[in-house]
Amino acid sequence: MGNNGSVERRTVLKAAGASVAALGLAATTGCGGGGSGAGDGTVTIRYAWWGADERAKRINRSIALFEKKYPKIKVQTDFQDYVAFWEKFQTQAAGGNPPDVFQNAVGFLRKYDKRGILLDLKSQIDAGNLSLKNFRAGVEKVGQVDGKQLGIPVGSNTMSLVVDEKVFEKAGVDPKQGWTWDEYFAALKRIHDTQKVAGDTGYFSIMYLYDLYLRQNGKAFFTEDGLGFDEADLTEWWADGYNRVKAGIITDPKRVEQDKPKSSLSAGHAASEFTWDNFTVRYTAEGDSSYGLAPIPTTDGRQTGQYLASLMLSASAHTKHPEEVARFIDFMVHDPEVGKIMGYDRGILATTEQFDAFQPSDAPSKAIAQYEKDVAAAGVLGAITPHPAGADTVEAAFLRIGGDMSQGTTKVSDAVKQFFSEAKTALSA
Amino acid sequence: MGTAVTLVKDSPPEAQRARPAHPVAGTRPGRRRENLAGYLFMSPWIAGFLLLTAGPMVASLYFAFTDYDLFDSPRWIGFDNFTTMFDDPRWRKSVEVTAEYVVIGTPLKLLLALGVALLLARSRRGQAFYRAAFYAPSLIGASVSVGFVWRALFSDDAVVDRVQTFLGFRSGGWVGDPEWVLYSLVALTVWQFGAPMVIFLAGLKQVPRELYEAAEVDGAGPLRRFWSITLPMLSPVLFFNVLLETIHSFQIFGSAYVVSNATCGPADATLVYTCYLYQKGFKESQMGFASAMAWMLLLAVALVTAVLFWSQKRWVHYEEDAR
Repeated sequence: MGNNGSVERRTVLKAAGASVAALGLAATTGCGGGGSGAGDGTVTIRYAWWGADERAKRINRSIALFEKKYPKIKVQTDFQDYVAFWEKFQTQAAGGNPPDVFQNAVGFLRKYDKRGILLDLKSQIDAGNLSLKNFRAGVEKVGQVDGKQLGIPVGSNTMSLVVDEKVFEKAGVDPKQGWTWDEYFAALKRIHDTQKVAGDTGYFSIMYLYDLYLRQNGKAFFTEDGLGFDEADLTEWWADGYNRVKAGIITDPKRVEQDKPKSSLSAGHAASEFTWDNFTVRYTAEGDSSYGLAPIPTTDGRQTGQYLASLMLSASAHTKHPEEVARFIDFMVHDPEVGKIMGYDRGILATTEQFDAFQPSDAPSKAIAQYEKDVAAAGVLGAITPHPAGADTVEAAFLRIGGDMSQGTTKVSDAVKQFFSEAKTALSA
Repeated sequence: MGTAVTLVKDSPPEAQRARPAHPVAGTRPGRRRENLAGYLFMSPWIAGFLLLTAGPMVASLYFAFTDYDLFDSPRWIGFDNFTTMFDDPRWRKSVEVTAEYVVIGTPLKLLLALGVALLLARSRRGQAFYRAAFYAPSLIGASVSVGFVWRALFSDDAVVDRVQTFLGFRSGGWVGDPEWVLYSLVALTVWQFGAPMVIFLAGLKQVPRELYEAAEVDGAGPLRRFWSITLPMLSPVLFFNVLLETIHSFQIFGSAYVVSNATCGPADATLVYTCYLYQKGFKESQMGFASAMAWMLLLAVALVTAVLFWSQKRWVHYEEDAR
């Protein structure tokens, strides 16, 4: 500050005024966007989901229909991939500003209900703004927790075995309903020996598959407030998995890691993968082979342990427009035109109106419809077991620690201990 | 203006000595008005600092001693977060991974920066081009897109894999291999040696020519001149670079997050400290624990910085030193 001319008083005041104005401006823009009602009675609701571009295109077309029917309701959209979606959602929810309507799944119902984030849609159903009629196979129950209706299913899905049909055919493997785990692993070995490709991408760290295995044996992954299995169960499951990786019938975990975000199945480094049946659309888009759905292996030759799960629409307990939100959900799950647009992107359409309106013409959609028909016909579908608060963190830990174990960087016994310790923390939080 | 005063206080004694004694200004009314103007001009930044930096820091210090999941109000638990940290195998792993990254990456980067700076110090044709070319990675290296490029380069059957297989050195990509993936991150930081290089170049320009001339007259060879003149004269700049790069390395996040496809894996091999902090805070909503981790990192960096400052007495030579 070597200058000796003193700053003029007027300049100082002007500068001060400008700074205050700038700050004030910043403050208004920072807090803006809170008001969602306009003078003419138009209401804006925010709708967020996770998924790929394809889903976004379909949803945007559905929203255009909705806005045409309800010109006074505007829908503002936002979407990310699964992981990013929940990170963002959690931050928004903690700040008291979650989207008015959002895609949800069973693992998150208790977590966010406990924190008072989810709107119990019962009152809107009773008020006649949202219909709970015409849901197929009682799938609306997936959205019910402790007598509250926290989510409205948009589609149903079930765990399945996605297979590379060409490889399975060349190896002479033909999966049948009721085949056993022994038969399944023998098939993987045959594929490995004859086709020189690993059989599976890593079944042992998929929580929802282990849940099926446990259900086949009279247990389940979760109880109301904890884990439904013990350390000995998991030690056996993971030790077998590790040995199969070593034997080469499961894809080398290093490969799996590098194929991401693609699946190793569609990358041609495995012949099968356990996942939700509505994901087959993804494999067909990603890979070069043709992909089909096979039955889940069983322990006793009959029970697969499968159940119908579902993606849902939930509403925020903080929404200023519960009625409009209810009407929007109602339209999205019941309107036949929306059913035609959405197809089986989020699972088999949940209501009969939409299910009957959509006639699948592409191979993957036909296969999904056939698969759920077969599973239902086999009479193996059970009721979904509870997912306590923290289930999402436990699922992520199961996947991560199972992966560490398969890489050989963590001993099986240590991995099991670590999983139980992390699960305990997550479920008691 | 408070900051300016502290700066003078903290700078080495010889720097203070070098300054002519100056009467402390302040009480004259003209000065006061001028100060007021200064503060007013700074007010947007002062407000920003208080609201966006100081405020959150104070809050995080409080959260560090609580159990806080973002939803329920924080519950005071004293030092529990800090003690459980040491029992957490993943926290210990993250410390290990970060330490390995800092200890390997920083010296390599500085050596390369110094080496290239020495080559570029002499005037030669195309010098400006080379400087710009070597500096460019520092400008783009921290971006997410470069992270994606890196992931692609170091995957199975990608460029790096093919070259190393051709050389018969090893096969397989680095990205999926827990033993190797961290080195791809080290390579990424070393590749950005341009920023310290530019600082070294500036330092090299400051070394008085006559010292070299005198040494040459005395028959000193190039190696001798480097050890006895260049290095000691460059040591303040070297110290500055070591300090900056070390602190910077501790804070690695973006590259680990992107190269590992947001998992900080495989098998936690790229679970750098900030990545674990992020997972704890934003994925598992243990904000109290995450805040405690942040303060531990600050303490660790402060400690390392203090050790570096203490050590400079032994190896950093300021020109005014009478030796």
